[in-house]
Order: sequence, then structure tokens, then C-alpha cells
Amino acid sequence: MRTRREFLTTAAGAAALAPAVIRSTALGKDGAVAPNDRIIAGGIGLRGRGMGDLGWMLPEKDVQFVAICDAQRSARENAKKFVDQRYGNTDCKAYPEVREFLAERTDIDAILMATGDRWHALMSIWAMRAGKDVYTEKPSCMTIAEGQAVVATAKRFGRVYQTGTQRLSEGNHVFCFEMAKSGRLGKVHTAYAHIAPWDDAYMRHEWLPAQPEPPKEEVDWDAWLGPCPWRPFNASYIRGGWRGHYDFHTSCIGEWGAHTFAQAQAGLDMVHTSPVEYEYVNNTTADGMVTHFANGVKLILSRGNKYWHGSCGERFDGEKGWVAAADGYSKPDVSSPALMADFRKIVRDYMARTQRPMNHMRNLLDCVRSRRLTVANPEVMYRSMTTVHAANICMWLKRSLKFDPVKAEFVNDDEANRLRSRAMRAPYTY
Amino acid sequence: MLKLLKSATLLAALLLPAAALAGEEAQPPAKLDEAKLIAVLKSDAPQFEKAEACRLLQRCATKEAVPALAALLADEKLSHMARYALEPLTDPSAAEALRAALGKVKGRLLAGVVTSLGVRRDAKAIDALAKLLTDADTDVAQAAARALGSIGTAEAATALEAAVAKAPAARQVAFCEGLLRAAEALAAAGKKDLALGAYDILRALKPAPQQVRMGALRGVILTRGDEGLPLLLEAVRGNDGILVRAATRAAMELPGPAVVKALADELGKLPAENQILVTFVLGKRADAAAVPALLALAKKGEAAARLAAIRALPEIGSGTAAQGLLELMSDADADVAAAARDALTALESAEVDAALAAMLTGGDAKTRAAAIEMLGQRRVLGAMPALLKAAGDADEAVRIASIKCLGQSAGAAEFPALVGLLCKAKSAPELQAAEAALSAVCQRESLPGGGAVVILKAVYGALPDGPSADVTKKVAELMKGGATSVDASNANFGDPCNGIAKKFRIEFSVNGVPQTKTVNENDTVTLAGRITPPEFVDTMCAAMANAPTPAKLALMRALRSAGGPKALDAIRKATADADDEIKNVALSVLCDWPTPDALPDITKLAKTSKDARVKILSLRGWLRLIPLQEATVEEKLAALKEAMGMAERPEEKRLALAASSAIPAVESLALVVPYLSDKGLKEEAGAAVVAIAEKLVGSRPAEVGNALRKVVEETTNAQTAKRAKTLLRQAGGPPPKKR
Repeated sequence: MRTRREFLTTAAGAAALAPAVIRSTALGKDGAVAPNDRIIAGGIGLRGRGMGDLGWMLPEKDVQFVAICDAQRSARENAKKFVDQRYGNTDCKAYPEVREFLAERTDIDAILMATGDRWHALMSIWAMRAGKDVYTEKPSCMTIAEGQAVVATAKRFGRVYQTGTQRLSEGNHVFCFEMAKSGRLGKVHTAYAHIAPWDDAYMRHEWLPAQPEPPKEEVDWDAWLGPCPWRPFNASYIRGGWRGHYDFHTSCIGEWGAHTFAQAQAGLDMVHTSPVEYEYVNNTTADGMVTHFANGVKLILSRGNKYWHGSCGERFDGEKGWVAAADGYSKPDVSSPALMADFRKIVRDYMARTQRPMNHMRNLLDCVRSRRLTVANPEVMYRSMTTVHAANICMWLKRSLKFDPVKAEFVNDDEANRLRSRAMRAPYTY
Repeated sequence: MLKLLKSATLLAALLLPAAALAGEEAQPPAKLDEAKLIAVLKSDAPQFEKAEACRLLQRCATKEAVPALAALLADEKLSHMARYALEPLTDPSAAEALRAALGKVKGRLLAGVVTSLGVRRDAKAIDALAKLLTDADTDVAQAAARALGSIGTAEAATALEAAVAKAPAARQVAFCEGLLRAAEALAAAGKKDLALGAYDILRALKPAPQQVRMGALRGVILTRGDEGLPLLLEAVRGNDGILVRAATRAAMELPGPAVVKALADELGKLPAENQILVTFVLGKRADAAAVPALLALAKKGEAAARLAAIRALPEIGSGTAAQGLLELMSDADADVAAAARDALTALESAEVDAALAAMLTGGDAKTRAAAIEMLGQRRVLGAMPALLKAAGDADEAVRIASIKCLGQSAGAAEFPALVGLLCKAKSAPELQAAEAALSAVCQRESLPGGGAVVILKAVYGALPDGPSADVTKKVAELMKGGATSVDASNANFGDPCNGIAKKFRIEFSVNGVPQTKTVNENDTVTLAGRITPPEFVDTMCAAMANAPTPAKLALMRALRSAGGPKALDAIRKATADADDEIKNVALSVLCDWPTPDALPDITKLAKTSKDARVKILSLRGWLRLIPLQEATVEEKLAALKEAMGMAERPEEKRLALAASSAIPAVESLALVVPYLSDKGLKEEAGAAVVAIAEKLVGSRPAEVGNALRKVVEETTNAQTAKRAKTLLRQAGGPPPKKR
């Protein structure tokens, strides 16, 4: 007899691979999916951005969200309330301890995760090890080694994984990638990627003043810190003040580079590698850092709005013109209006060719059923985050670096190589 | 401001004055002093300073630092940070220190040390780690299993193999993962037999978690390589969903072409649900060898599997799929036909374009027409000569398909030929297709920048109700400076409501044609009109001379789409043509001219024509163009009054009332209000009053109020009444009488 999980991917009948293969009208009235065919989902660490992701997931008719886990009581109760209100019941279970949660809920197929950055990779690994598929917010690893471990774990256990670089599933950006990859811009020689304009590449190393630790049932401070070095509690951290601290954050480069490097590398068809050279820039923000891929194409980090109008943008410069996309305006920016002529066709063809929808969450759910690789799969995450980490290390060491993407190591630079990983605090290890 | 836990001692040890830059004073320098950092560890410095010293020693430690770091491994507060520095230190003394700590620490600290030895792949630790597999502390035992897996030697694998079957449930996944890791390492080291032995143990494990079953099957298939194909196929043929998934995932990773051939050969024999999963693999592998099998399934299989097979073909990107997809486009199943069309459109291959072009010269008419349609969908610019040739095909359907395709993709170079096709059209549908194609090319190839642009009103801010700024003057300046579009941005207009997402609303006219656009912040509004290339008009006018009458009629209508003075002149001349049919169509086209440059002709016709049909057409054209002309309100009103005076039928009176609503003046209200008492026209009059009032309520509230009260009294249209009442509240004054 088959289990429900097997049925998700292999059952005969229209619902088996519904979104990927079958039009919703074939599913039944209003596209409804029978309860036992639904993807059972749970959440970990869902707050601001995570609640947005949850609001994105819950309307999907083939998902049943059943449980939330958070080391912070107020956050898990808030998420439970949100889910219960949506479903009109009180069925969503809340768990404070993640290892118990993962071990106990063997019924859960997919995990939606939006903890702080420090936990993204480790939690993804734990969830995949527990047999779950994963959607995680970005930046999805704190070190190059963590990125490699995510890739290895997903392969090892046959897991589907999507990192939250949702612009890889947005028409404006996809159009730009396709324009760059297809040769319509001529030979592309340079890409630009936006880095967060409010942060520095250099981060804080000091501890905030110690405050009394709250009761464990309110905030499990040890679990909150997870694999990071211990430091005394300060309420600022748990209110988002962890950003900018070396132990918890990946700087202005990772904050947006997690998105924009993935975007740039998608358009350059460099999702399976990383730049081989990083040129140090003598400022505090990495603005203007030039990186070089092995084929000579440059990826340049840019902090301002010189190359796009909005935020989180990327631009591709080729011999015949340029295209750019970013949040904040409704269509891509192009060097000539003629480049926009086939916008709809280009995006439509991409969707037909890849069977990927212009909906990042939907792409994950489709792949949970089909077992295909998501658009922001572990390799895409690892390679783009390697670019992030290598650029950060270049800034921290204040010297230009050469990197071997095959060996995943800096060339003749032991100090840089040591920064590819950080020892994790037990028991928060992989 | 928070007081930060900094240490003057440590900062003094770390910071090099020359390295300090603005904004990074508290940052570790590029060059570190190991001796000073070791001294911090040996001092009575507080925890933060020692932790920070360890963090910096991660970068620079040598064997000199190992004793000081090793001393901290048993320190509850600093053990982790000691590992932070020791773990990446390649000197053997670091591993020795970690191994030595195994017998000295317990619990979390021990789990941490064990993990570090695994990260370092320290083979000398295998015996000690193997003993820890039975440690009472589950965290320690699990860490030991994963560490042994990372070390991945034959000895490490042996220790795990012995332990995995006996592992308690709570430790089972960790032990299995350890063995999976070890098997991966052994396979990578070329010790395939040992790796396969490890995988076989995991495959035999019962019960085993689904992810372990998947991992074990994947591993054994990948390790065996092509020799693993029988096992892969066995899984794919079966009904164990976990193993089917594992096999298809492995098939995506397995190098070499054999796996594609094996799956392609098997595809037709599989259960439908497994066929679907295999189509995903074959698409992902992008090997053209799978195309025949996918096409076969696409032609004959269960509905969902047929669709999956078709959708895998664009991912492969081989032109060899073109003919089969073309045939599927006429499948009886509409979903299949649509999927085939989408797939063929998306299939990126020059071979497809070549195959389609070849089909134009061979095959039956249906095939030729389908090939033409796909060439259009695929925007194949190189196909223009073939398309032009096909436009002269013996089959009408092929000719029409070709002309339609040219309408979608032809440019200036093909325009004369397209005019020629129109003149030679052999049937009404063909003529119609050619006329539509000409109009489409005129529209597509028209250039921005034409037309007289008048900025009427521009507002930027948190529209509709939030703070905003009137930026009419600024936009007018930008247009005067030669811009043809305006960015709705703070850079242009400043920020009237900091931190709030803004909108930009602009009212403007191009050649007297009023338009309103609202866009989001950072969007761009194009304000200029468009000009059809003059050579297009020249070509069409020249063709008029010798074209047969039906073609002449079509050309005149196309000239209306092109617009401009030369086109108008050609139509004007045609109104005096000796051929009544040409003359009548020319008069219709003239009366329907879209821009006010035709007003003098139309007005004259309205006043002087003896032909009732022309009189009505011209009166309607006149009423339509009155508000669009560049004229004063008084001139427009005078013209409107005159035209209204000539209107005898309710249809034209309604048009007149609609025209009045586009002339926002008190005098317009005076003109319209009497019609509120006309039973047949009161609703149009009410709508006109409300439209005028919306523009005047701020400046002429009293006059607007009187007219609106009358609207509320007379209208039976709920929407009009609601709008009127809303405006009345803005205008103030007494409320309307209750009816």
C-alpha cells in the first residue's frame, strides 16, 4: 500500500502532478484538491518576511499548513493565530523546540522557513535530513561551507529546496535573464548587481549590553543563538537588531546580493560557478567592487541607483544594448524600446521551456510533487552565496582575492580559506 | 545610545592606526598579531575579549596558538570559540588538541569537539569516535556518527556499518547519514565496492525512513554508473513511489548518455504516473535521443502523460521535435494541441526554424499554413522572404496565414511588398487580412515624438487622498526641453510625502486628443504622439493610382490608420473620385478622421452636403472633433452650439452632449442643463453635467451646485446621482429637493 507521500508524486489521476502538468480545471470544482493529496506544510521562525511568505503559501489550494515552530512564544502564537484565522479552526499546532518538531511531525512534507540568517542553512539541513522539502528565506548560508552542506544534504536525501530569491520567478527579471542569455544583447560583457544601500560591508563585532534573559518558554535564547558564538541576551537582537552583527548577518553584500547575485548569475548563465577574481575597493560598502568570471565577464557590485530605478536590481550590458530590472517599476529598463518588443513572448517561452511558473512559492510546490529542481535550487543558492561570501572576505581582508570555484577555495590565501567556514556551537551543528 | 562592551586592551592589541578608515574604526585590521591575541587568551581578560581573540585567531593562528586554545576546550564559556580557531587550522597540532579533549569534556562540549574532528576529516580520531557511537548522550553519539561519515575512510565506514542496524530510533537518521556520507566519500575516493557495501546495508535496513531509502538507492545507482541502470529501471518500473522518486532524481545526476537511452526505451512501457516523472528527467537531461520516445508518448498515452511528454520537448531544445509537434497541433484533444503549439513556440532551435521554412516549400496546404503560423509566433525574422513568397501560394489559406504572419512581424523593408500583396488580393478575406496587416505594421513601426503635446494637469504624490504636489509646470518644462516621456520619480519632482509610495497622474493632449494616465512611482509615462514613417504613406498613395477598386478602398482605410497631412490629402482627393464607391468610402473615411486637421472639410460637408448619409456622418465627425481641436473654450462652444442646432436625431444630440462634457466651462453647463428636462436625453445630459462639474467644482461651486441639484432631481441613473451628490457636498449650498 502506498503512503500519502508517495501518492503526492506518483498517484494516477489528475491531481498527482496537478500544477505542473494538469490545468487547474481538471482538478475538480474551483481547482479544489482532495485533502489527502495536499502538501502538508509547517513553518519555522515565521515573522515579518516569513508571515509574508506564509500569506503567499496559504492560498495555494493544494497546501495544508499544520504547524509552526518558533523559539519565541509570541512569534509562534502569532503565526498560529494567522493560520487558524485563515482556515477557520484552531488546528495549527505550535512547537517551541525545533528538533522535537521535526522528529514528531513525520506527516509534514514541506517546511517554510524564515528565521534569522544564522539559522537558514542549518535549519534547512535539519529539515531535509528529517525528510522534508524546504522553502527558506535568504541569505541562505552564513559561510561557503554551509552552502556546500546544503547542496550535499539535498542531494543525499533527495530533497526539494528553494531559497527565497523570488525575483528568479518574476517576469521582469526573467525577461532580462533571457535577453542576456539568448544573445539578443550581443555578447554580454558586464553585469551589475545591487547591494543594500543602508549597510556596510564591515560589521559589528561587539556585544550589546547584557540584559536579564527572559524565561525559556518566552524566548529560548540558547536556541535563538543556535550555531553562533554565545553572547549575553539583549532584547534588541530578537527585535531585528541582529542585523549588522558579524555573527548573524552577511553584510550589505549578502543582504541584497543573495538576491541580486543570483539574478545576475542567472542572466550570465553562471549559476553553476562563481567569479574567480574579486577586486578590493577602498571604501566601507564594497560599492564598485569588480568581480571576474573565468570567461572574462565582469560582475560589478553597485550600491546606488545608477543602473536601475528601483531596488534589488540587476543589469546586463551587451554589445547591442542593455537591460535592467528592479523592484519599484512596472517593466524592465532597456537601452532601446525595440528590445521590449517580445517581452511577453520571451517570458511565456521561458515558462514553457522550463515548466516554471512566475510564482516562486508555486515553483516549490510544483517541484515537491514533480521532484524537479526548483529555480532557486541548492546549487543556485550555493554559487550565488559563494559570490557573496568571497566578496565579503575580500573586503574584510582588504585585499583582492582569486578563487577556484571547482575546489571552492581561494588561491594561495590560507587566511581567506579559513574564513570559508565557522565552527558551529554544539548541539547546533550539521 | 547603547554602551558597548569594548575592551581598550584588546582594541589596542588589534587595531593598527594606519588601517583605520572612516566607518570601520572598530573593525579587525587586515593584518593580525598572533602573539598579542595569544596573550589575551592567557590573561584575565573578560569573556568577550577572549572570544574575540579566538575569532581573530581563526584567521591567523599557527601551532604557537594551539596550547592556549587547547586550554579553552574544556571551558564551558569558551570551548566553542577555541574550536572556532582550531577547526580550520591545518597544522596537525590542532587535531591533536581536539583529540586530546575527547576524554576531558562531556555533553555539548564533547559534541562540539567531535564535530570539529569530523569537519577536519581526522582519521586518527576514528577509534575514539567509534566508541562514542554508544555514548549515553544522544547529541554526542549522533555527532560521532556524522563525524565518522565525514572522515569517510574504510575504517570509519566499518564502524558505522556495525552500529547502524543497532541504532536506537532517536539516533537512526544520524547514523544512516553518517553511513551515507562515508559511502559518498568512499565512492569519491574510487573505493566503489566499499561504497556499494555501505549503500546495500542501508537499502536492507527495515524499517528505514523514506529519505534514507531514497538516499541509499540514489547512492548505489550513481556509484555503479551505467551498471546501475538495471536497478534504476527496476525502480522506475515499480509502484514504490519513494524508489521511483529516488531513481528519477538519480537519473538527473547520472553522467553519460546511456541513462537517457535506457529511460527513453522504457518510457512507453511504464505506468502513466511514472511516465510523467520520467518525462521530467528526459527534459532536464536535454538529450535529443529522447525526442522520439517523448513524441511517441505524446501521440499515444494517458492524457496527463501526453501533456508531460510534450512539455518536456522545449527543454530538450532539439529541432527534431518540430515535425511531431506540428502534427500534434491538430490533435483532437484541445489541451494536447495547445501544449504542442506552446512547445513549438518555445522550442529554441535554429533547426526548428529551418524545419518550418522547409515545410513552407513542401507538404500540403494545411502543413504550410501551420508552419507559417508558427514562424509568426516564433518571430523568425529570417523567414521574411519565405513568408512573402508564401503570400503568393496557390492555396488561399496559406496566402492568408502568410499575410497575417507578415502583419505580426514585417517591418519597413517588407512594407512595399505588403502593399503589393493587398493590391493583388484575390478574395475579400485575403484583402481584409492585407488591410489589417498594413494597419498593424503602420502602428508598430510608427515613431514616438510626433504630435502637439499640451500638458493640462500633472500631480505627484500619495494619490488619490494623500499629500501631493502640482507638477504641471515642471512636466511642461521637461517636454519643452525635448523630452517625450517623463519618469514619475522623486528625482524629477522631489518627494511631497516622504516614505509613502507615490503615484503620478497626468492629463494631457496629443494633437488635441485628451488623455489621462496614472502610473506608480518610478514608472515612465510616454507623452508624445506617434508618427507613421512618411514612406509608408507615400507607398500607399502611389499604389492608389493603379490599384483595383477594392484595394483602393482598403488602402484608404489603412491611410486613416497612418494619419498625417499627406494621407488626409489623398482621402480629400478621393472624395471627388468619379467612382461612386470610392467617393463614398473616401467620405466615410474623411468623416471618421481621428485628428482635428480634418475639421474644416468635415464642417463644410456637414453644412453643405445634400446627401443625407454624408450629412449625418459629417455631423457626427464634427461633434467628435470639436473638443479635440486647438481652440478657445468660446470657439469650441460656438462650434458646438452650431452643430447641436443642426442635429435632428437623438443619436447626434447625444453625441453633442458627450462632446460638451469634454469642454469644462460654465457655458457648457448652460448649454447642457436644458436637456435635463428632455425625457429622451436627460441621462446623457446628467452624465455631461457631472463630468463638467468634476472639473469646475473647485473654482465655480455655485454654478456647479445649481446644475447638480437639477441632475439629482431628474436622473434615474443611480451612479450619476451618486456622483452628483458627492460633488454637491464639495460644492456646498442647499441640498437637492427630495423627490
